[in-house]
Parts: sequence; structure tokens; C-alpha cells
Amino acid sequence: MAAPVLDIDRLRLDIGGAAVVDGLSLSVDEGEIVALVGESGCGKSLSALAVLRLLPDAVRLAGGRILLEGKDLASLDMSAMAGIRGRDASIIFQEPTASLDPLMPVGDQIAEALTAHRAISAQEARLRAREMLVSIGISDPDRRLAQYPFELSGGMCQRIMIAIALICGPRLLIADEPTTALDVTIQAQILHLIRQLVAERGTAVLLITHDMGVVADIADRVVVMYAGRVAETATAEELFRAPRHPYTALLLASIPRAGIMPKSRLATIEGTVPPPSSHGAGCRFASRCPLVEDRCRIESPPLADHAPGHLAACWHSDQVATLGAAA
Amino acid sequence: MSGVVLDVRDAAVHFRSRGGFLRKAAPPLKAVDGVSLAIAPGETLGLVGESGCGKSTLANAILGLVPLTGGRIEVAGRAVDSADRVSLSAIRSDAQMVFQDPALSLNPRLSIGAAIGEPLLVRGLATGQALRDRVASLLKAVGLEPDHASRFPHAFSGGQRQRIVIARALALQPKLVICDEPVSALDVSVRAQILNLLVDLQRERGMSYLFVSHDLSVVRHIADRVAVMYLGRIVETASMSVLFGKPRHPYTQALLAAAPEPDPVRQRAKPRRVLDGELPSPANLPPGCAFSSRCPLASDLCRSERPTLSARPDGASVACHHAEE
Repeated sequence: MAAPVLDIDRLRLDIGGAAVVDGLSLSVDEGEIVALVGESGCGKSLSALAVLRLLPDAVRLAGGRILLEGKDLASLDMSAMAGIRGRDASIIFQEPTASLDPLMPVGDQIAEALTAHRAISAQEARLRAREMLVSIGISDPDRRLAQYPFELSGGMCQRIMIAIALICGPRLLIADEPTTALDVTIQAQILHLIRQLVAERGTAVLLITHDMGVVADIADRVVVMYAGRVAETATAEELFRAPRHPYTALLLASIPRAGIMPKSRLATIEGTVPPPSSHGAGCRFASRCPLVEDRCRIESPPLADHAPGHLAACWHSDQVATLGAAA
Repeated sequence: MSGVVLDVRDAAVHFRSRGGFLRKAAPPLKAVDGVSLAIAPGETLGLVGESGCGKSTLANAILGLVPLTGGRIEVAGRAVDSADRVSLSAIRSDAQMVFQDPALSLNPRLSIGAAIGEPLLVRGLATGQALRDRVASLLKAVGLEPDHASRFPHAFSGGQRQRIVIARALALQPKLVICDEPVSALDVSVRAQILNLLVDLQRERGMSYLFVSHDLSVVRHIADRVAVMYLGRIVETASMSVLFGKPRHPYTQALLAAAPEPDPVRQRAKPRRVLDGELPSPANLPPGCAFSSRCPLASDLCRSERPTLSARPDGASVACHHAEE
């Protein structure tokens, strides 16, 4: 098997000495879409930013390796990183309008991504930008190239962001909640586009999302984070069919969907996520877990294999199935 | 109609742009254009549609927060007149609102007890110990501790803040609570808690909900009936089971097809029908059916003549020339 495009190994991120991401390991293969899911504050977005070394000043990369095609991004200096961003690995964010320069026609912004990394004439870059728009299905590309972000809808701005992110043909695309700000019919268009581009170009995608519907739609594999740690990882199908971590099981059971009796009680997760400063030796989900026993509070469960490619960090993962049935 | 909690008849909210020097007045933006709906006591009506379809404007018009330019809205038999402050005050004891972002709906400098008690105090319904007792029982009703009353909003999580906002909305024992995207800003597990709470409160107190949301799975869970809005008009209404089981309007069908289901097997087996194009601007609507620019069934008739809502035997109403095709 070929080496993964992205291989994160025991990543640790600190804020003021407290670990907000603690031992995150994941890999993304060529042409694969891996979803990193979890609720606000679980560390998923910081992990995404860490890959491109875009962390805010308060967050320190305190350990681990981030291998992009074998090169450790965690050890590179900032000027070397500037050469990587946009060329080998790109990122798109939730708010496409906030990510674009309001004072520059979008065509120039796409071309700039190219001229920043390649010895290429401005004219040639504009031509390539136009080709890019055509390839992502934008009709009337010449008019679009000349427009400013305020003239475009949110969905169109996100397409432009995708064009900027992909024009250099990066091996890795990080998509941080790419459709959260968009309407469902536009979300369907953007997810369709991402799926299509991955199939054509073999780009590896790390998709950050909290929306299990989006995960069910396009992810090949899923990594579930809770309070800075990986709770469970599995193929999308396996994760939804037979979750092995109580957090995953309750999260899935709390979503209203077809097949759940209308107005019936949805499963809930009582309590709140513990703050990073209070993490003790035990399992971080222990304070909210219905399966908790003494051992959980003392000893942190390791990520253990349950089936090929299906890992969960829980002492009681064999009892999780009963939890889902009760919920 | 008697007995309904909310009666909206042919309501319109048009925003006019004023012309200026060297600038012609633009045509009015028809945010809500000829909407009729009613809600019975104890009923939940889900109002769904994409951003800009006018669902929040309609919710605001019901409380008199934006003036109507046409039609009539009655809350518990009283006409809403946004210019008449006395009647508005009466209406707001019958209809209350819960907004999307609880952090923005609470005054950061007001203890939550004061915030929840304010509607009662303003109307002189309770003071002193009686007021404190009412606040305590409201806090208990939404699953918070009565002795939290002296704390300030920052001390609470997002889900708890939404509980506080709900408690405040319940203070006057309204007949109708308008929930405008009440769980959209919350995490998934907290979302379930708030939905459970809304269902429980309705069972206990029997009030009606107008539940405005873009999230179809949430609406399917909580609504008895559903109205689908597109560019200021209602294109389809039906009972929840009919709408989700047998959507008739091509826009409803597209919405249901686009909403991803949290189940990879079902989701990936769904026929992929991605709706092309985007919402036209409500200031510049196509003639005829507003959906005709994106509709796979659009014909010349659709582009020239606006379809009206027509009733079906199973209680649904659909505004489409080709709904049976």
C-alpha cells in the first residue's frame, strides 16, 4: 500500500500548558475523504490549523509529527511553510466571504495563488484561473473572474475558495466546515463538487465538520474527537452501524432522523465537556458516560482495535451496542 | 376563523427602497408576499426554507416587529398592528419569541432572574417574593436550578442560555411561541436537550409553536404540520407525515433530496439530484412561478403565470402547475 498523503502522529497542542489536543493520530490516503468530527471546543479545528501551521499565537505545537508525503511539517520554519501552503496543501474555511480579499477581483485572487508558487506569467495565470472555473462547473467564467466577492453569493464564494485551494494541484485539501454557512441545496452542490474533484484528481481531503449528515454523505473514514483526544475511528459505514465508543453512540442517537418516532425523547449527553485544565488521568468522557465505572476515572483507556480499521478508546466498548438500543 | 392561535391572511411585507438624486427607486423587495397560514392551539407548525426566503421576516411580522404592507395577522383573535403600541403589548403577552443565538438575546448585565422576571414586572403581574417564586418555578420548568437566578448569562453554556431564553418567553404564559432557528447555534448533543425540552413544555402547557428552521430533520421531529417557503411565498403545506412521505412541490422534493441524512447507507442510496443555480434575488423575481428558474419541470406556463396554492384530499396544499408529474 502506498504511504498516506497526510500522516499525523501523536499531535499535541497546548494553550497555557494545558493540552487542548492530546495525542491525535490520523492518516489520509490519496483520493480519500477523512472526516474529523466532534463538538465545539474538541480541538478539531485547531488540529486542522496545526497541519498548515496556522495556529493562533496562544496555541503551541507541543509535540508530535505531521507528515505530508513524508515531510514533517511540524519541524519546518515559517518560510518553508509558505512554500507548502497553497502548493502542496490547501485549506478552505467556513466563511468563504471572510476568506476572500474584498478589494480584489476573484480572478486575480485565483491567479495569485498560482503566481505565488510557479514561475508563470500573469497572463498565463489568468488563463489557468479561467480553466479552473470551467472545471468546477462555473458558467460564464469571464464575467465571474472580473467580479468582486461582494457581487457573489456565499455558495459562489466557496467555489472560488475551492478554485484557489486547488489551482496548484495540492495533494491535500483541508476543508474546515466548508458548507456550514451554506443552505442545504447549495451545500449539496459544494459536497458534490468536492466528491467529484477528489475522484478526478486523487486529492486527499481532511474534512472538519460537526454535521453527521455531511459525514454520512461524503466521508470514507471518520475520526471522532472528544475533549482533545480521539474517541473512535472507523469507516463511515461501520461507525454509523456499530459505534464502539459511548460518546459516538449517544451523539448519533441524539440526532433526529427518519425512523425515530416524531416528538419522542432524543438521547442526550448530560453535563458538559470538561475544560482542558481539569483533565485527570482517567477517561475524559467519564463524567458524562452512562457506562462509567471506577476504572474509567483512574485509567485512561487506549485506542484499541475492534475490527480491522475500527478503533475505540473505551474500557466498555463491548457494552456500547446496548446503549444505542436503549437510546 | 375562531379558535386558532395564529391566523395569517394574505400577509405581505415589502421593503421599498427610496429613490434618490440620479437614482431611480428600485422595485420593492417582496420579502413576504401573500402568505396565509393558521396554527391551532397546541399545534406545532414548522416553517422551512432557505436563507432569504422570508421565514424570519414573517416571524417578525407576527410580533409586529416589522410592519405589514398588506394582509392581516391575528394572534389569539387580536389583529397585529405594528403602529399601535398598546395592542402590541397585549399581543406580546400571547405570543413570544425564541431566537437563534441565546448569547445575543440576553442582556449580559442583567442577572438571569431579572431577565426572566422582567416581563412579569413590567406588566405589574408580580413583585417581591411572588416574582421570585415565579422565576424559580420557570427556572425549574426549563431544567435549571432556582438558585441560579442571581447569576449572569456569561456563567452559562450555550444550551443553558437557550433554556433561560425559553423560560423568559414562557413567563407570560403565551399561547404561541415563535422559535426562530432555536437550536441552530447549538452543538448536536445540546440540540437534543432543547428539542426534548420544547416537546415536554408543550405537553405540559399546551401552547402552540411556530418553529422556523432550515433544518429538515429537526422540523420532521418536532412539527405536526409543515409549510415550505420559497422567495416570500408558501409553495407547499401539509401534515408532517404527508410532506416528508409524499412531497409534491419540486422545491420541497429538492430540499428533501439535498438534506443529507445521518446514515451513510441510506444517504448514499438516495438518488443524486443536485438542484442547479441559486436563489434569485427577492428584489428581482422572475415572472410567474418564483421557482421556475431552477425547476426541472418548468414550462412556458410556469414562466408566465404564478401558480396558486390548491388543496389536495389529504390536507396538503401545493402551488405548482406540474405537481402531479
